[in-house]
Amino acid sequence: MTSFIIRRLLLIVPTVFVALSFLFLIFFALPGDPANLIAGGAERNIDPGVIERINERYGLDEPMTTQFVKYWQRTLQWDLGDSFLTRRSVNETLGQRAPNSIRLAFWAIVIEIVVGISVGMVSAIRRYSIGDRFTTIVTAAASAIPVFVLGLVLQWMFAVQPNKHDWPEWARLRTSGIGPDSWAFFVIPTGEQWRYLILPAITLASVTTALLARMTRGSMLEVLRADYMRTARSKGLRERDVVMRHGLRNALLPVVTLIGLDFGTAIGAAVLTETTFSWPGIGSQIVDSVTARDLPVILGLTLVVVLAYTVVNLIVDISYAWVDPRIRLGKGGQS
Amino acid sequence: MRRQRRSLRLLALIMGLSLVATACGGDDDDEGGDEAGEAPEEGVQGGDVVDLSAFAGGPAEHIDPRINTTVSGWQIGGSLYDGLTETDFSDPDNPEVRGVVAESWESNDDATEWTFQIREGLKFSDGEDVLPSSFVRGWESASDPDFAGDYSYLFNFIDGGAEKLAGEADTLAGVEADDEAMTLTVRLSEPYSTFPYVAGFQIFMPMPSAIDDLADQAEWENGEMIGNGPFMLESPRTDTEVVMVPNPEWDGTQYAEEFGLPEQPYLDSVTFRVSGDLDVAYNSFEAGEADITGFPAGRYQEAQDNYATTIETPFLGAYYFQINDRDPRIGGEENLLLRQAISQAIDRDEINEAVYEGSRTTATGITPPGIPGMEEGLCDYCSYDPEAAEAAYQEWLDAGNELTEPLPIQLNAGFGHEPVVQIIIDNLDAIGIPAEAEPFDSETYFGQLAEGACVICRSGWLADYPTYDNFMYDLFSTDALDGNNYGYSNSEFDDLIAQAKAETDEDARGELYRQAEQILLNEDIGTIPVNWYNGTLVYNGDKIANLIEEPTGHVQWETVQLSG
Repeated sequence: MTSFIIRRLLLIVPTVFVALSFLFLIFFALPGDPANLIAGGAERNIDPGVIERINERYGLDEPMTTQFVKYWQRTLQWDLGDSFLTRRSVNETLGQRAPNSIRLAFWAIVIEIVVGISVGMVSAIRRYSIGDRFTTIVTAAASAIPVFVLGLVLQWMFAVQPNKHDWPEWARLRTSGIGPDSWAFFVIPTGEQWRYLILPAITLASVTTALLARMTRGSMLEVLRADYMRTARSKGLRERDVVMRHGLRNALLPVVTLIGLDFGTAIGAAVLTETTFSWPGIGSQIVDSVTARDLPVILGLTLVVVLAYTVVNLIVDISYAWVDPRIRLGKGGQS
Repeated sequence: MRRQRRSLRLLALIMGLSLVATACGGDDDDEGGDEAGEAPEEGVQGGDVVDLSAFAGGPAEHIDPRINTTVSGWQIGGSLYDGLTETDFSDPDNPEVRGVVAESWESNDDATEWTFQIREGLKFSDGEDVLPSSFVRGWESASDPDFAGDYSYLFNFIDGGAEKLAGEADTLAGVEADDEAMTLTVRLSEPYSTFPYVAGFQIFMPMPSAIDDLADQAEWENGEMIGNGPFMLESPRTDTEVVMVPNPEWDGTQYAEEFGLPEQPYLDSVTFRVSGDLDVAYNSFEAGEADITGFPAGRYQEAQDNYATTIETPFLGAYYFQINDRDPRIGGEENLLLRQAISQAIDRDEINEAVYEGSRTTATGITPPGIPGMEEGLCDYCSYDPEAAEAAYQEWLDAGNELTEPLPIQLNAGFGHEPVVQIIIDNLDAIGIPAEAEPFDSETYFGQLAEGACVICRSGWLADYPTYDNFMYDLFSTDALDGNNYGYSNSEFDDLIAQAKAETDEDARGELYRQAEQILLNEDIGTIPVNWYNGTLVYNGDKIANLIEEPTGHVQWETVQLSG
């Protein structure tokens, strides 16, 4: 197990290197002059002297290879540079925004796991019941509705209407911002904080939860038909124990894989969710930075996203061993 | 210059500040009262306001008035700083410049040297005196080529400004401060009879000595930015909000009584909160999380039915389609009839009704009402007349011309211009002119236009200061800034603008500008006006008793008051 984790951690290095290098090179391949954007953007023709000074200040007049090497030298020291646009430190921006994204992602994943697995499991056990059919329809709809549309609809239902109809203050959910920024144990909302968190968390969780519920249902149905389930019942085990100890655990393996893969989907959804709810996280910043071609910020945020993605998938891989003890990580994955 | 761009980012308009002036200077004692500043009876002192209109779509790129270019950034910069002059919009049809930090001013006979008398007793929020040298400090830093922003071209009007911006001089030769006499003398590079209008513009704000300690002037706006205006920052700006609180050193009664300013701002705080876009902002507003927002597309009528708005405020801005005079398909004298046909084929009223739900004013010229000297109805070809349009197009065809492919109409995508362009395409199709939309990425849109991509391209302009010159010279003169003219060049037009610039008589100046505009619109058809902008704010009228959006988009937050 330890050697597996070390190997996987080492793999993060080339992954990050390739991802960021690719972005760096793409930036230079795109049309347009970054110095022009820094000097005021596309709105005007800039004095060549100003462009020259900006190029000098940011090192943009140096050969691309030199810039590339210098970028990596700085990055290895965790100096992510300054925004071209606002001239603020990227490290500072990350420090402010990353915790917000982590909290939102945490709750989205919690919702995804709790709701997705529960609904999928119940749906499989009560196959073809009204509840199962309802779940099928809802999960299909949730997968199809664009995240920003769902976000706006939820805002209208749970924030605008309660306000118009004078619901009690506690029942009015919030549509924008981080709110009082009040957390216990880093991720537990305290006081009024939950009113700001709940809608974006549900919105972000919507797509992946629906997928997870469908995957869990399918996986459970397969397991429920397995011989060992019949054997378990014939041993006289209670149905609950049969389902939870024998059924669910075996059904979870593909589901856990999906959770890891879903993280990528969630990152994309986070961009839209954070924008829709004005949640000051990495996702909404990525949108602004890409639009403005603010390379240092794009690279800094991407670095964090790639790191998060690889770490989450590492955790998923490790969790295989917990879900299915037959799997021995680091020993060729025997089963 | 202010253009519409994204948040510029969304429907948020990029607009400018404005200032007006009289030719030979003036004394604020001569100015009329400022009704905007008079507190309504039901208003109270205190309270907090949350605004979602300014930063719907993202935080301000800049809030330092020396480098800011957006009206959203100026909502803050204009509240943190008081300049030499400002515009009194209490009579929207006749805005007038009035002194703020400048008590009075005078010029020499040919309007090349201006002397401003600085009011005594004014202070920055850290207690430092506001002196003539404070302006020199601000102007020198704003014209430092390593720091200078988009508006730095305004220093070209000052003697030595061009050299300073080019890095060939260390100081602005034409600016002198006498802190003993409290005078600021500005020598211009050429006559400019309306310079006091320009002198109150955001790039000309005073700066305290604290900026001398900065290693990089860009740090200023990321700190607490000490100013001399009615508000100060509660704390440094963040990506999510900017909070302003009253500046205890500011005293509105130190200015002319006619301004009607309170001793301190009425509000305890103004919070500018960032939101994803105007739809999100409007939802938040409706959820009771904010007091002010903007109009989302397609909800003009609904907003007016349910809330208080500033939609009735005419803006000093024009929405138009520019012609690339260098393009062989559309430019030049040989295509004059084609341009006439296009302009007459466009149903501007339909655009206003279908796209803007009647919230704008159909343009009859490029210069909007409220600009001194402007007259409506100058454009001969801006009325919808499909028969005349078809006849003009036929005449153009009969002269041996033809369109071998659809005319491209450029627009910056994603900001609600698509339906406007589609209506125009339909209008043109109705008289036989083939056309198609050519959307561009908004971030690079104007840059690409200036580099030659424009054929018939959507554009918008909001006055930096309410002068005719700001529309005529900055947009259409041969040496228009930043390639705004897209090739339009007419020596007769240029001569009239130059004469108007130097003309100190207001009536004569207006006449010269009108002549120039008629050449542009009728003889050359160098541009196609569509509509004039109106106010942009939706607010909670039950809570806010007094909110006035000026025709430049700026709100004087010190006069905003909550209901009792």
